[in-house]
Amino acid sequence: MKRLVIFNGSPRKNGTSYSFSHTIKKLAEDSGNAAEIVHIIDYFDGKKDIDSLIHIISKSDILGLVTPLYVDTLPYPVIWFLEKLSCDLRTELNGKDFFAVSQCGLPDVTLFKPLLGSCRIFAESVSMNWLGGLGYGGGAIINGELMENLGSKGRKITSGFKIALEDILNEKMISSRAQDLLTIRIPKILLWPISAFLNYKSKSMARKSGVKDLSSKVYLE
Amino acid sequence: MSIVLLDARENNSNIGVIVSTFKKLFEERGEVINYFLLKDMNILPCRSCGACSFISPGKCVIKDDIHEIMRAIAKCNIYIFITPIRFGGFSSQLKKVVDRTMPLGLPLYVVRKGHMLHPMRYGHKFILAVGITEEKYSGQEENFSNLVGRNAVNMQASHRTLVLESTDDKENIENRISDLIRGVN
Repeated sequence: MKRLVIFNGSPRKNGTSYSFSHTIKKLAEDSGNAAEIVHIIDYFDGKKDIDSLIHIISKSDILGLVTPLYVDTLPYPVIWFLEKLSCDLRTELNGKDFFAVSQCGLPDVTLFKPLLGSCRIFAESVSMNWLGGLGYGGGAIINGELMENLGSKGRKITSGFKIALEDILNEKMISSRAQDLLTIRIPKILLWPISAFLNYKSKSMARKSGVKDLSSKVYLE
Repeated sequence: MSIVLLDARENNSNIGVIVSTFKKLFEERGEVINYFLLKDMNILPCRSCGACSFISPGKCVIKDDIHEIMRAIAKCNIYIFITPIRFGGFSSQLKKVVDRTMPLGLPLYVVRKGHMLHPMRYGHKFILAVGITEEKYSGQEENFSNLVGRNAVNMQASHRTLVLESTDDKENIENRISDLIRGVN
């Protein structure tokens, strides 16, 4: 039996990153392992003390980060957290396995490259074993819904996580098959009608909120 | 021309020399820099509440020092940031600002060169990014450059990236920044 700690990097405790963390935890437990979800925002907000992680990390074998992509890389509280771990818990991290899963609202999986690169370099900097990472470009559509409620889409994502978890538990790099199942392939020609549809939705939402001008230049007024 | 410089220095770094070089070189061109020392500013994290899209479009509802920076960015042509390279990316000190600049983009989409992007609310900027390496890790400079390049794509901005080492001397820093800003306007 292995012990996983899954760090949720989102400031929202019930968003898509949590939903992914929940699925990974359940898959790990279903295959006879133990898993725990830790919300980074609790440490950032001072609700929990970083020192309280010593015990959790010491008894774990594998650490995973599940996080939204903010402006092309890790969110501020996640970078803060990794800096803290790197300074304060370096000894406890040494030799553990590490993986990352990220999600955003745009389908292009190359968007995750700088984020996953940072996770790899973090692992190297604290002498952890980097097992690779995954990116999912439909996070906004899922909007925190649990995989079991998403029908075939949820089953496909779960299959990707299952393959990844098998690799992780065997201390192997996550195989490309896992990413293939998570990749949303949209022909470039469809980006225009998709953009037009999303713009229509945005304008509708704005109208419902009583907003007349989405383009206002508030900082020049 | 208006310039914004975000200084994400921590302790014991040579960012002070880098900042003074930027100030000197731009002042020689008759330009003034709007300078922000981030460690002295109260900037809270983005909570992904979505208010800046549909409740108060273009303006974050969190009341802190970000609005001072956003007013300067809205007017600027050149946007400079200087950061220690942390895990091949930005330090948390810089990222606390970058995350909060999301309202620079409209909550709408355009397609440019095969990318779905948000149109920019205040026009297109020139990004100059300087990263300082503290320790050697494989691929960190490439990752930093990729990240800045990706920011530039999203902001539909021109950009240049410079990576310096924390041990670089003043003369080297001045020469390389002089090269970096040549032709930027």
